Amino acid sequence: MEIRLPRLGEGANSGVVAGILVKEGEKVRKDQTILELESDKAVAAIPVPEAGTVAKISVKEGDEIKVGDLILTLKADGGKQEIASSQPPTQEVPQPTMSAQRGKEQPSRSPVPQIEGIPLAAAPSLRKIARELGIDLTRVRGSERGGRIVLADVRQYLAELQKGALAPPPPTSSVATVSPPDHVDFSKWGSVRRKKITSIRKTIAQRMSSSWNVVPHVTQFEDADITDLLALRKAHSAAYEKKGGRLTLTPLIIKALVRSLQQHQMFNASLDEGSGEIIYKDYYHIGIAVDTEQGLLVPVLRDADKKSVLDISLELEDLAGRARDRKIAIDEMQGGTFTISNQGGIGGAHFTPIVNKPEVAILGLGRGALRAVVRNKKIEQRVILPLGLSYDHRIIDGADAARFITTLVQAIESFDEKELALAGRGSKKKPAKKGKK
Amino acid sequence: MRPIETEIVVLGGGVGGYSAAFYAADKGKKVVLVEQDDRLGGVCMNRGCIPSKAFLHATKLLKEADDSSARGITFGKPSINLDEMRAWKETIVQKLADGLAGLAKNRKVEVIRGRGYFEDSTTLRVETSDGQKFVHFNKAIVAVGSKPALPKAFDLGNKRIMTSDEALEIEEIPANLLVVGGGYIGMELGTVYAILGSKITMVEALDSLLLGADADLVRPVKRRAEKLFAEIRLGTKVGKMATSGKHIKVTMEVKGKEKEELFDRVLVSVGRTPLTNDLGLENTKVRKNDNGFIVVNPQQQTDDPVIYAVGDVVGGALLAHKAAREARIAVDVITGETNSFDSIIVPAVVFTDPEVAWCGITEAEAKERELPVEIVRFPWSASGRALSFDRTDGMTKLVIDPVTERVLGVGIVGAGAGDLISEGVLAIEMGATAEDLAESIHPHPTLSETMMEAAEAFYGYSTHIYAPKKKEQVEG
Repeated sequence: MEIRLPRLGEGANSGVVAGILVKEGEKVRKDQTILELESDKAVAAIPVPEAGTVAKISVKEGDEIKVGDLILTLKADGGKQEIASSQPPTQEVPQPTMSAQRGKEQPSRSPVPQIEGIPLAAAPSLRKIARELGIDLTRVRGSERGGRIVLADVRQYLAELQKGALAPPPPTSSVATVSPPDHVDFSKWGSVRRKKITSIRKTIAQRMSSSWNVVPHVTQFEDADITDLLALRKAHSAAYEKKGGRLTLTPLIIKALVRSLQQHQMFNASLDEGSGEIIYKDYYHIGIAVDTEQGLLVPVLRDADKKSVLDISLELEDLAGRARDRKIAIDEMQGGTFTISNQGGIGGAHFTPIVNKPEVAILGLGRGALRAVVRNKKIEQRVILPLGLSYDHRIIDGADAARFITTLVQAIESFDEKELALAGRGSKKKPAKKGKK
Repeated sequence: MRPIETEIVVLGGGVGGYSAAFYAADKGKKVVLVEQDDRLGGVCMNRGCIPSKAFLHATKLLKEADDSSARGITFGKPSINLDEMRAWKETIVQKLADGLAGLAKNRKVEVIRGRGYFEDSTTLRVETSDGQKFVHFNKAIVAVGSKPALPKAFDLGNKRIMTSDEALEIEEIPANLLVVGGGYIGMELGTVYAILGSKITMVEALDSLLLGADADLVRPVKRRAEKLFAEIRLGTKVGKMATSGKHIKVTMEVKGKEKEELFDRVLVSVGRTPLTNDLGLENTKVRKNDNGFIVVNPQQQTDDPVIYAVGDVVGGALLAHKAAREARIAVDVITGETNSFDSIIVPAVVFTDPEVAWCGITEAEAKERELPVEIVRFPWSASGRALSFDRTDGMTKLVIDPVTERVLGVGIVGAGAGDLISEGVLAIEMGATAEDLAESIHPHPTLSETMMEAAEAFYGYSTHIYAPKKKEQVEG
């Protein structure tokens, strides 16, 4: 394109070329000054309206040129990235938040890149303090206009550092967390065998330690009367078997659980420690702790709120089976919002499961057993299921947990039979797998 | 004779040296300062900044008187008494020297007059008028400075070929003076001699004057020099010089042709060389680079763990204010504080007519490093103050980061630019944005307003120039 001398302003229609600031073959940015024009009034900088490469310069220093005269020809540039980066992204500049916000910190502002040879945007006195304290100011976020760092920013940075230093260090190695820190020679007391721990075990150890160290755990115990639920199960299991499903207690509990989570969304949430926010999820992906030969695996049953009991039972069987055969993909074990650990098939009563971080709660099911229960002022035989609900006490209070488990027990004890209707796929086919294999 | 024991010995009593010595003494150290001249103050005070500014001031008066006929004030032809002028300069320098001597005494800094030589990394031998003295030191700071470079081809031993040292003595006003080198020394002294009456021919090997300054800042200086000097030859190299009676015969290539010319005197101002020879540095671990400058780290430490160096001897900008800062850093590090010469803004000032000053990132540097910057200029033709004293040939320029709006560089040309630049240094050191400058009231009518108005121009609302902000366009 041809770059011609633009209109200069009132009364100035011509001038003498005082300086040419570009060379032929040179790349120019949009708005870069290409020429300085001297008129009787002043020296004006003439910018180039587009980015590109200077193909030919048609004027020389000392030439008198008029508005509309050809200055140079510009070749459009292919290298868009460069141009894009030089385009002053003024829009990104946080607008001056006048009086209302004056002096208020805005730590969310992104750090400003440093320019070599130019000091960091902080007063020399502050840089001296940082030097003396050994603080790398490039890590400190400046809250003032232009990313300028002030003393308050350094204070906040120090507070964060201190918080980090006081928090228990994250386990660096899973092995370290499962083996005793000191070397003990157990063979002194008898013969021993050593066996390398598997990678699954390492992962389990690491995740458990991490959760245990970070999450303040509280476990809420409760009992649920599942006598009626088992009766429902018995009534429907034959129909389910015809459809290829095995109606166990777990899908029924999952259904009751999801209904409860929908009423108590905090239990389906996560805590973002970095931003200090709680993340509520509009989906219900239930992790199922599965006992395998290698150790604990937790495949995730997705969108449990949208699935029928039949679908859940079919999918559960598929997931558990593949988990035992180690045919489960990593992404099928991710994205859970709440986990159930059911020990009922093995035995045991109440226990205190560990929250599966970043989830905030986990439900542990013991073995349902016949108990003598006082109902309607009479002692009756009822099947009682022990429940243990562990939760992250940082964001869930005890009262929340009591309310949640009450809702859950209610949902189990008065399970709606309509939920057992044979909706969904109802085929013998295994459910199509999600995610890549 | 027993050697003198000291914690710190400073070798060289120029700005870098006495700054270091005084600061170390203020911090409670025992300090010995070694200077070979009778007076402290070094080049800056004796043969540089101070005398040149005195002469520039004196000659400015001549020029002003000359110019004032247009304002209706006419003077008679001035008479110039060089002896009195030199004596006046001498009183200024002596006053400063006495001041420094007093300051040293009050601080109990022991000043030894003599030439220092490192015997090793613990002992400095000083050749004084009363014989040798030995100084045992824990730490040494080398601040011996630099001297004007005089290429061998020009070094004929003829006093008509001068460096700035001799030119500042102004023995006579030569009718024809050749100034070799269009840097700040050549420009400043060329101006002094031109106003005193010499016909100046200036030769510069490069294509521009005042290397390092942006072209638009140099332009008004060049335009004025073109009127003041007989001739300015850019891109021209001087071949050789020879004595020819009471003249110097100079050979240079002008427009492709070799040309011989006669000059009454020649001023060679082609740079400065460090005074790092004959110091006994080879008896220490101090290392020099190929140009003879001492190699230091940002803590001013040389390769010898007990020897530090500051000022011109370490290279970089050969400026007194840079030396003074380096002196503080060296002393801080010696006394166990953390300090470092790192991203420190060193302003440059040229006392030409008009003055040029700049700091931070220059426009040329931004272009070369492809830094995305926005440039705003405020011409002094729009400044009432500049108009009031007939000097509208000035301009104030800001180099601004368009994203953060931070001021990255400032360039000023115009009368008093050297005094105005400090606001720019403060702005950059403080991380100020253009808005910070625009929002600070600058008194009227002063030249400092040009700084504020340039910043306002960045936002498109400078009162005294019409420069609407370009509309933001999204690159297609």
